[in-house]
Amino acid sequence: MMINLHGYGPRLLDGALLTAELAVLSLLLALVIGLLVATAKLTRSGPLRAMGTLYTTVIRGVPDLVMMMLMVYGGQILMNMAVDHVNALIGTNAFIEFNPFAAGVVTLGIIYGAYMSETFRGAFLAVDSGQIEAARAYGMSGWLTFRRVRFPLMMRHALPGLNNNWMVLLKSTALVSIIGLSDMVHVADQATKATHRPFLFMVPVGLGYLAMTAISELIVRYLKRTFDVGFDGRQA
Amino acid sequence: MANTEIPLVVRDLHKQFNDTPVLEGLSLEAHEGDVITLIGASGSGKSTFLRCMNLLEVPDAGEVIVHGEPVAFQTRRGKREPADWRQVERIRARLSMVFQGFNLWAHMTLIGNVIEAPRHVLGLSKREAHERGMALLERVGLADRAGYFPAQLSGGQQQRGAIARALAMEPEVLLFDEPTSALDPELVGDVLKVMRELADEGRTMVVVTHEMDFARDVASQVMYLHAGRVEEAGPPSEVLVNPESARLQQFLGPRF
Amino acid sequence: MEQWLAHTLPFLSNNDIFTPDTLAQYWGGLVVTVQLVFLSLLMGIVLAVPLAVGRASRQAWISRSIWFYTYVFRGTPLLIQLYVIYYAFTYVPGVREAGFGAFIDNATYPALLSFTLNTAAYTTEIFYGAIRATPSGELEAARAYGMSTFTAYRRVVLPSAFRRALPAYGNEVIFMLHASAIASAVTLTDLTGAAYYVYSRFYSPFPAFIFVACVYMVLSFAIQGTFRLLEKRMLRHLKPA
Repeated sequence: MMINLHGYGPRLLDGALLTAELAVLSLLLALVIGLLVATAKLTRSGPLRAMGTLYTTVIRGVPDLVMMMLMVYGGQILMNMAVDHVNALIGTNAFIEFNPFAAGVVTLGIIYGAYMSETFRGAFLAVDSGQIEAARAYGMSGWLTFRRVRFPLMMRHALPGLNNNWMVLLKSTALVSIIGLSDMVHVADQATKATHRPFLFMVPVGLGYLAMTAISELIVRYLKRTFDVGFDGRQA
Repeated sequence: MANTEIPLVVRDLHKQFNDTPVLEGLSLEAHEGDVITLIGASGSGKSTFLRCMNLLEVPDAGEVIVHGEPVAFQTRRGKREPADWRQVERIRARLSMVFQGFNLWAHMTLIGNVIEAPRHVLGLSKREAHERGMALLERVGLADRAGYFPAQLSGGQQQRGAIARALAMEPEVLLFDEPTSALDPELVGDVLKVMRELADEGRTMVVVTHEMDFARDVASQVMYLHAGRVEEAGPPSEVLVNPESARLQQFLGPRF
Repeated sequence: MEQWLAHTLPFLSNNDIFTPDTLAQYWGGLVVTVQLVFLSLLMGIVLAVPLAVGRASRQAWISRSIWFYTYVFRGTPLLIQLYVIYYAFTYVPGVREAGFGAFIDNATYPALLSFTLNTAAYTTEIFYGAIRATPSGELEAARAYGMSTFTAYRRVVLPSAFRRALPAYGNEVIFMLHASAIASAVTLTDLTGAAYYVYSRFYSPFPAFIFVACVYMVLSFAIQGTFRLLEKRMLRHLKPA
């Protein structure tokens, strides 16, 4: 027997899709930011390191939801100001609506970029420096060394931490429902208010998160095997 | 009962791990003041034998009798286990064990380690336990280290502390499980010295060890184990000086 | 630079916003947040200690069912847990009519309940990990000296596990402080709720949210500092002399 979702089924699916998109895009952004900031923290440049540290310290001190409200509600105002500026300059009368989805992606990317930068930093430090020296000794350039030796070796150490960050990020996407994005939590919230059936919608959404976790666990297991090559005793 | 005065009797112990026999009918009688050393290659079952005596391992068959009181066993779902764990706890409190890896409780100071079981197992008052503990630390030469945590002590100090902890129970039998094997060679001497003093005092001891000098000088009886059986046993003057079994001769090395 | 200043100065000097009235809002929010977080952490620990011991139990059905509980509560967003409990209090007839009148008129209780169950799940796993990390020799020594399982847990396993768990638990406390911001989604005026109120009244997000962000940051650093001190005291036994 099918569960009667009072016609909310398709919207719930759309919501799930939005959750997945939001999570994956934020993850990609967070990975990029994390790598860049980790590199900045590992340079010899004092100001770069200080900025990296300040960034992670601030992000770690502030709740995700507050960051998100700041970005979304503040983003619209900044956008208006910027557009007004352009309007005044070139004499137009445009209005651009601030995209809350993009704001969500950017916020989550910035927040989890901070956590991931710490993970990457630790992982880079864990790579045996002899391996890098060997690469340089054979005449590999800095970039080639990074791409072929340092990065793959680093990823082996980073993977468990990144997986952890990703799990937290996935659950944090639920916060966008509070700032008005129609992710699956938002749909379930509205459906519950309309039908007064608290479990009917919330439980499937909870299962949806567990399913996403399970899928990503499979992917992580595959990645782990990739990066563990040569360390887990398997034959090539 | 003639047995009543014998501190520790074990009879015909058998033990298997995953269908691999480890003990195949081992027996031992430790009389008042005996120092029995168990020697043998690794895997011969000597540590398991010792750990069966205070039921850290439960023997599949055989008896453990402490001062005439036999440990009661029962079989549940095909597994043999002590019928009454309280009895086991009571018996363990009378047979103090000293471990190869010291096993001092890392979050307690040295004196905290020594007074812990007397207070919470024997029910001594804090003052009583403290007095007893400090006297024992004095004896093993660690009175000035009473307030240190185990991680702040050398291996030899930790092991001497662990011996003080064992003595604080005022046990009837002391069980030593390779007490010097985890120590740097230069720290072994201090621990052996304490053990010799204990033997001289007339303490009843069962010692698993690789220290042949200790066995020869101190033991009243040496048991050489091989593959879970006693290959040869007797006073050290016989067993260690004129070994009969070829395996023991080989184990003892070319000196003999 | 001048242009930038021209845009930002109004926000900084605009003291219409931080009036005694709004500051009172923030203060009220702070009280709500601290109460929610403190109480749920406290109840969470009380639940987590026996649950962690049960999770380490050799009885498969006990450890499995506790694992299932922590799996569900750690695998789904706290917001969903809050919504389920909040709406169950509001809409499920049995709950409404069972003499819980005092409870349902106030979102505090659903919030407290969901926060407690959530932090208890995380704390259970933290303690369980710390219990499992007990050096087996220390437990064996406890048994060898005749300690009962109960005494061995009370005197040896748990005291050393709590110490080991301290750094991870410190993170959990900060995590709960931050997670509690969602209380504002079920009509509670916590710190974030107060910030949202100030924002919507003046339509000025930057002062409203940056101020509250600073308050959260100060709280987070205070918690972090407290745990650093605790760790220094409680974990000194692991440091060589």
